[in-house]
Amino acid sequence: MIRRFGFKAAILAAALAFSTPVFAQPLPILRVGMAAQDVGRLDPHFAVSTIDRVVVAWMFNGLVRFKPGSIDPAEIEPDLAQSWERSDDGLTWTFHLRPNVAFHGNYGMVTADDVVFSLKKSSTAATSAFAADFAAFETIEAVDPMTVRIKLRNPVPSLLGILTNYAGGYIVSRRAVEERGAGFVRSPIGTGPFMLDHVTPNQSAELVAHEGYFRGKPLLGGISYRFIPSDASRDLAFQAGELDVNYGRADQTWVNRTRQLPNVTVDVFEPGELTELSLNITRPPFNDIRVRQALAHAVNRAEFVRWRGADVSREGQSVVPRGYLGFINDPGLLPHDINRAKALLAEAGYPNGLTIRVIHTQLPEMLSGMQVLQQQLRRAGITLDLNIVEHATFHQQIRQDLSPMVYYSAARFPVADIFLTQFFHSRSIVQTPTAVTNFSHCDKADAQIDGARVATDLVEQRRLWAEAQRIIVREVCAVPVIETLLVFGRRNNVDYGYELNGSMSLGPLITEKTRLR
Amino acid sequence: MKALLAKVWANPMTFLGALLCLAIVLAAVLAPWIAPYDPADQDIISRLQPPGGAYPFGTDQFGRDILSRLLWGARISLTVSLGAIAVAVVIGGTIGMLAGYIGGTFDLLVMQVMDVLLSFPSLILGLIVVALLGPDLINLVVAIALTAIAPFARVARAPTMALKERAFVEAGRALGFSHPRILFRHILPNIMSEVMVMASLWMATAVRVEASLSFIGLGVKPPTATWGGMTRDGFENILDAPWLAILPGLAILLLVLGLNMVGDGLRDATDPRLRQE
Repeated sequence: MIRRFGFKAAILAAALAFSTPVFAQPLPILRVGMAAQDVGRLDPHFAVSTIDRVVVAWMFNGLVRFKPGSIDPAEIEPDLAQSWERSDDGLTWTFHLRPNVAFHGNYGMVTADDVVFSLKKSSTAATSAFAADFAAFETIEAVDPMTVRIKLRNPVPSLLGILTNYAGGYIVSRRAVEERGAGFVRSPIGTGPFMLDHVTPNQSAELVAHEGYFRGKPLLGGISYRFIPSDASRDLAFQAGELDVNYGRADQTWVNRTRQLPNVTVDVFEPGELTELSLNITRPPFNDIRVRQALAHAVNRAEFVRWRGADVSREGQSVVPRGYLGFINDPGLLPHDINRAKALLAEAGYPNGLTIRVIHTQLPEMLSGMQVLQQQLRRAGITLDLNIVEHATFHQQIRQDLSPMVYYSAARFPVADIFLTQFFHSRSIVQTPTAVTNFSHCDKADAQIDGARVATDLVEQRRLWAEAQRIIVREVCAVPVIETLLVFGRRNNVDYGYELNGSMSLGPLITEKTRLR
Repeated sequence: MKALLAKVWANPMTFLGALLCLAIVLAAVLAPWIAPYDPADQDIISRLQPPGGAYPFGTDQFGRDILSRLLWGARISLTVSLGAIAVAVVIGGTIGMLAGYIGGTFDLLVMQVMDVLLSFPSLILGLIVVALLGPDLINLVVAIALTAIAPFARVARAPTMALKERAFVEAGRALGFSHPRILFRHILPNIMSEVMVMASLWMATAVRVEASLSFIGLGVKPPTATWGGMTRDGFENILDAPWLAILPGLAILLLVLGLNMVGDGLRDATDPRLRQE
């Protein structure tokens, strides 16, 4: 009886197995938590905040790209361009496009016309926040539908760096930009593995897989990019399993606690954002170099690292971040010495110290760093009267030259030229037509920065960059403080598809190979 | 007045509330002498220490002593709330008395403006004012005072309207007393008890509004310790160091509780219906 029943059950099971229709499992959605109130501008040429940079990297490509997980310029590889060549003088570059690369939606294939349009858009101040990077571009033209030629006025240290999948190098659909106009900032069209489905303000940006992606169909069904500004709330959501990837706090306590969580990995990766204090050398009190030197002596970099934690930070060693091509670790920084700071202040006519009114952001991570600095300077008799404003207002007001000291953190393409030009060349002084982020009005190393840019001999180029750093440090145009690495937590079932050591988009790159195991 | 005070102190809850308030006032006044550390002094090596040992209430993310910051923070909470309510009593009380005394179109116009102010929740109105003027101690006092002017105007207006019809005011007018003299020498003392009851209850509201504005980053600037600011900073570290948010939150709770208990006692003692019972 039992045998007969077992036989019938086996037949029934076999029949069911063959008759049950097979439904395709929907691909999983990756849930990423971000410290943000909302996303800003998703036109990649205006994506300047960390919040926007992270997400546009999932939707766009450049002509070339950093190898996923790396920020090493030596590992730049083809992206929308499959090959390129440069003239002997380094002034003419020709890029051959990869065929059959589809834009999101019904926007057709990438052509040289889209590339020319994108690069011209990037190099125009009205349509891009990164126009200054393209100052050396003379012409950008389509040789044929799949070939683009760029002519430069003068050689640039790393043209490929400007054209990578970062900042102004992203390629957009010309037709989409023209059709959507101002709406493009919230409905962008790129070529990346994910495309924007919709944004729910103050809640999330929902991305879906771009099935026609040229490197293959993504292994994820989409990405839910969720805005949770409170660290504590985001951490709780991560612990409760509501997030797969979580923007972490660059803080040793956070890293240690998150590492204790089961099935969680903490990724600490490059680039380190260098925090510098830019001092306006043209106006009191910082037009007196003794006051600038006093402030430099009052800064205690080692204490900053103790505060942040050794795993996530390191001392700033120069006015260019560590690891950048051309960086030197001995520019002659003034050592921490409170007595010397007080003596210099007394010499400068401030025997009882001085008070400086400084504009600063209310963004918690930057505000807490400023509070550490405030206490360090107080020990030397320098009182910082903080005027704390909303983050966007902070960016606006420091560019209006309203703060004599600016506490600013930044990471750029890892070549000294870009950092030196944007922060210390006279062309970049704020409130000038070619302004970028030179808050100190420094013009002391223009000759060296310009000389290095056109130097054809690499040794000479490095020597000039080193000299520029020594001059800027000696003149105390800025005081480097600390470099802070990027920190993200992820559940162990998240496989990025590469080893995450660095990301120029300031967040993990989600590629077609990223999957949830 | 003596009889009123005797009634107030006879209520044990009022007495307890007064003791709580007195303890906090004493802590604030004596902060420079009893605080073990400078409230702004950072000891990075000792950051996020739990309560105990050299730091009885622990340390924050900068290694600052929480006990010292609570003691100094009490000064801000009390200064802002006392200052704001004093301003509101003077301005609101004067407006209400004038409206009640003059009456007519002036009364109608003034009270409609007060109704507009009353339609804003205190926190929202405070937020608008601080956002416009910028966050600092004086602006915080102005912002909170503005939220409290309308209620004080209302409280002062009603009894003034009743009192101006009374025989002693009529007599004053017949004797040729000036209007200011009648208002401030004869009417004001008779409405003071009601205004003071209102003031004690609104002090608690002022403490809450100050803490709320500091919590959302519109309070006094760093590194000045405020209870609301400490709660906000603590909230960001609540998973690592819960005491950072709990202790200042508790301090706000105790002060608001104490002020409410005193206010309730004063109201009960001056309420004619409760007096008859």
